[in-house]
Amino acid sequence: MKKIINWILVFAGCFTAQAVSAQVRPPLSVDVNYSIAQPLGSLKDYSDKTSFRGWSAGLQYMLNNQWSVGLRSGYQDFYEKLPRAVYPDKQGDVSAVQTRTLQVIPIQATVSYAFTKPESAVIPYATVGVGAASMNYEKYWGEFVEKNNSWQFLVSPEIGINVPFGKASPLMFNANVRYNYAPYKYNDITNFNSVQGNIGLKFHLN
Amino acid sequence: MKKTLFLFSAAAAVVAMVSFSSCRKDPLKDMTNEESRIYITNHDSTANFKAYSTFSIVDSVAVLTLAGDSAKKALTDYDKKLIASVTAAMQQKGYTLVSKNAKPDLGINLTRIDNSYSAISWNPGWWGGWGYWDPGYWGYPGGGWYWPSYYTVYRVNEKQVAIDAFDLKNPKNSKFVAVWNSLWRGSGVWNIDNIDSMVQASFAQSPYLTNK
Repeated sequence: MKKIINWILVFAGCFTAQAVSAQVRPPLSVDVNYSIAQPLGSLKDYSDKTSFRGWSAGLQYMLNNQWSVGLRSGYQDFYEKLPRAVYPDKQGDVSAVQTRTLQVIPIQATVSYAFTKPESAVIPYATVGVGAASMNYEKYWGEFVEKNNSWQFLVSPEIGINVPFGKASPLMFNANVRYNYAPYKYNDITNFNSVQGNIGLKFHLN
Repeated sequence: MKKTLFLFSAAAAVVAMVSFSSCRKDPLKDMTNEESRIYITNHDSTANFKAYSTFSIVDSVAVLTLAGDSAKKALTDYDKKLIASVTAAMQQKGYTLVSKNAKPDLGINLTRIDNSYSAISWNPGWWGGWGYWDPGYWGYPGGGWYWPSYYTVYRVNEKQVAIDAFDLKNPKNSKFVAVWNSLWRGSGVWNIDNIDSMVQASFAQSPYLTNK
């Protein structure tokens, strides 16, 4: 009899443990990050300055302890003002103080894979975001602007960590590094390349 | 729990709103008048500027306004200084000033344009005609010239100044061909204090324009 009770307790314990493990956090989460982006390649030639004006935000749904899918957006503003210079143009020479800007607004679907169990103190993960980005190109010649706005394909692989505030806390600190690529071509830009560092919070909604 | 959630959502909403409204660094904010100006120079690449030795310059400045295609001539302090400054720059480049009756090789027209009416889009065609300078002044109607056409005027009010140099020696089909042109756009181009620096910049970026 005692044996049977013991076995039942063991089984019950296991089931409970499993149930708890599956429910460390509710599956739906929202994240908001502050972003810093470094332009690379031709984007760097166009606008050399690191952008400290950016953010990223998204929703994620955990399919299981490892895999999540989601949707995210964000914003990044690239800006560089150059001292007065003479630029040879198609039909002449233009002396101007150029202010070169690009605003990027991505909308991406994401797939993420967590490398550890949800109850870990630190949860490293990898994400790939695929979608489109609104590229708003504005090059100012003095106070005169040359503008172009278009949507481009954007792919963004990312690695990062989530650090829960306490073992089963629904709130986590998030830090990640993301690479962005878009086959965007306009004037001086032959491809859009940037490396983006993000820090923020991720919260699992009850 | 619900309270935390509410607070978090509120914080996220605030962050998003602040980001949307102030993330963009505005290029026009804190832009000085000097920085706002652009100087566009064009020239006839087939022209041999060493073949010219004399020039003459108009005795007043044509002013184009909303009023219509007919230009008024003006001789304000600004205009006097503009004539003197362009004359000095031409002499520095090795050209000799002569009167317009002494058969100068180059004729120089000066025009101020008040384009304030043309709200957003700039229509070079309007200015491209030769109604703005009395054709009889040089004995012939003027010729054609070139400048970039794809700039968008961002501000509603715009004043411009143009310097046009014409070849008076070799008229084609009884028209003078513009061999050099400088167009000033931006804030403060009608300000007398900026004339010298704008003239200097225009000639400095045109190294081919010399008799030396």
